[in-house]
Amino acid sequence: MNPAVSNGGRRGLWAFFWLLVVFLYAPIVILVVFSFNDRILVSFPWQGFTTRWYHEFLRNSAMISALKASGYVALVTAVATVVLAIPASIVLVRRRFFGKGLVSGVLLAPLVIPLIVFGLALLILFNTIGIPLSPLTIMIGHVVVALPFAILTLVPRLERIPAWLEEASRDLGANALTTFRSITFPLLLPAVVSSFLISFTISFDEVVVASFIAGDQPTFPIYLYSQLRLPRQLPQVIAVAVVVLIVSVIVVVASEVGRRIADRRLERQIADFEESVA
Amino acid sequence: MATEAAVDATATKGGRRARYHRRLGTLGLASPSLGYLVVFFLIPVVTVVAYSVGLITLTPRDDYLSFQPWRDFLFGSIYLRVFWRSVQMALAVAVISVVLAYPVAYFLAMVAGLRKYTLLLVIIAPFLTSYLLRVLAWRVILQETGVVTSFLQGIGLVGEGESIGWLFNSRFAVYLVLAYAWVPFVALPIFVTLETLDQALLEASSDLGASRWRTFRTITLPLSLPGVIAAFIFVFIPTLGEYVTPSLVGGVNNFMFGNAIQGAFLLGRDWQFGSAMGAFLVLAVGVLIVLFGRYLNVQAVAE
Repeated sequence: MNPAVSNGGRRGLWAFFWLLVVFLYAPIVILVVFSFNDRILVSFPWQGFTTRWYHEFLRNSAMISALKASGYVALVTAVATVVLAIPASIVLVRRRFFGKGLVSGVLLAPLVIPLIVFGLALLILFNTIGIPLSPLTIMIGHVVVALPFAILTLVPRLERIPAWLEEASRDLGANALTTFRSITFPLLLPAVVSSFLISFTISFDEVVVASFIAGDQPTFPIYLYSQLRLPRQLPQVIAVAVVVLIVSVIVVVASEVGRRIADRRLERQIADFEESVA
Repeated sequence: MATEAAVDATATKGGRRARYHRRLGTLGLASPSLGYLVVFFLIPVVTVVAYSVGLITLTPRDDYLSFQPWRDFLFGSIYLRVFWRSVQMALAVAVISVVLAYPVAYFLAMVAGLRKYTLLLVIIAPFLTSYLLRVLAWRVILQETGVVTSFLQGIGLVGEGESIGWLFNSRFAVYLVLAYAWVPFVALPIFVTLETLDQALLEASSDLGASRWRTFRTITLPLSLPGVIAAFIFVFIPTLGEYVTPSLVGGVNNFMFGNAIQGAFLLGRDWQFGSAMGAFLVLAVGVLIVLFGRYLNVQAVAE
């Protein structure tokens, strides 16, 4: 007898699982379907298939410039976040020192700050020291929001890379930088890619902090938020939403699958190596 | 960790100089990220508190060195009541999310077998896409001229021009959308604790004659409680300061504390009052972290 679940319970849990999957994906599917409905109101009845909402958003220069602004902000944010997160993760995994608990607490603290308070905090800071609001100020905020997620993506992978690989490199005379460049970084690369994509996604979607510290150029989520009250704009807002959602699902799933394949390969290589040494 | 100890041992052999260099290296590795967070995270948050009591003034209407914004908030406004309403709503959302997510996590850990990571990804994937766009999807589905109402009108269950009151701009809509947003995330820490649970304990319990229900109640559930609490806190905290979902599907009557703060800044332009509310929210979150911080093993979740 299986002590965790009966046969009936097993069937019930399968059913519950698939119901939840339907619940999670139904809104996205509905959004996709209705983005092709030839009707200004996003609702029944179905009035025929059209791609005109997609054409309309491609011609909407305000929307395109908001998308470009978000892409630019997210790209710079992701690069800066990864550059900060890599040394931070190395410290958390490879070093022991006094006050390490405090350091990891500070590095992960942005996870629990209500974003609305962080947004207003940055608004007050930038006003106090006289920095004008611009895409740059949004990037400054987004790096803080993304940093813990990037670190939490890098740390597990770094823990899987045996420290003796780095020690061997140092024993053979390589300095710290060479060791990092030729041993640690190549092995860490899959997680670096993941953390880049996660940081990019977080920044591209972030509206709460950005709404406090955006200058004149709205990012995509800010623009979207401002358009939701205009019913005439809704169909093309939905068309662009569908494109962004589908691209992000593909990117996220691909990066997750890639990360898992890379993890398994690393484990196999290490096991093979240890066997050959033994 | 054994490897760390080994590294430290080699450093000791190299003598004092090597250890000094290593410490310098640690400092060099840690300081960019720490420095960044001190300047752009810790200092701004402290500034909010300073500003709310007038240690700094920014606009002509700001009071210099005054507890007036705090007094107004704590004793003279409806906003403290909005805060308590947000606490209730965040509790409800956290409970609903956990109740929906627990069976799924249990299923993945105990029933799904080898496919569990793939199925977990199926559950998690929507969470990793745009939050705002998912709320938008629900707005399109629920609103008065939306998909659900127009469908029911089409089949004649709801008359033309009528709508369903509780469906949109309602408490129900806020709970539905927030629970929808959080379920995948809540399933994750619960799954981690259930997956690392020692299966032999369950077999021992069953061998000793306990029913499945008793095994669940006395072994599985208590051992998975840390994951449940972690999930609960991770939902409760951001929901407390939520404003996107209430303003898009909740309507004015269901505004949460985040809406009050946002209103003070962007509409009322009373920044000091908004800062007092913001500082209050941070203090509330701080109390929660002190009480429950030991359950927040974020690293286990990340893996």
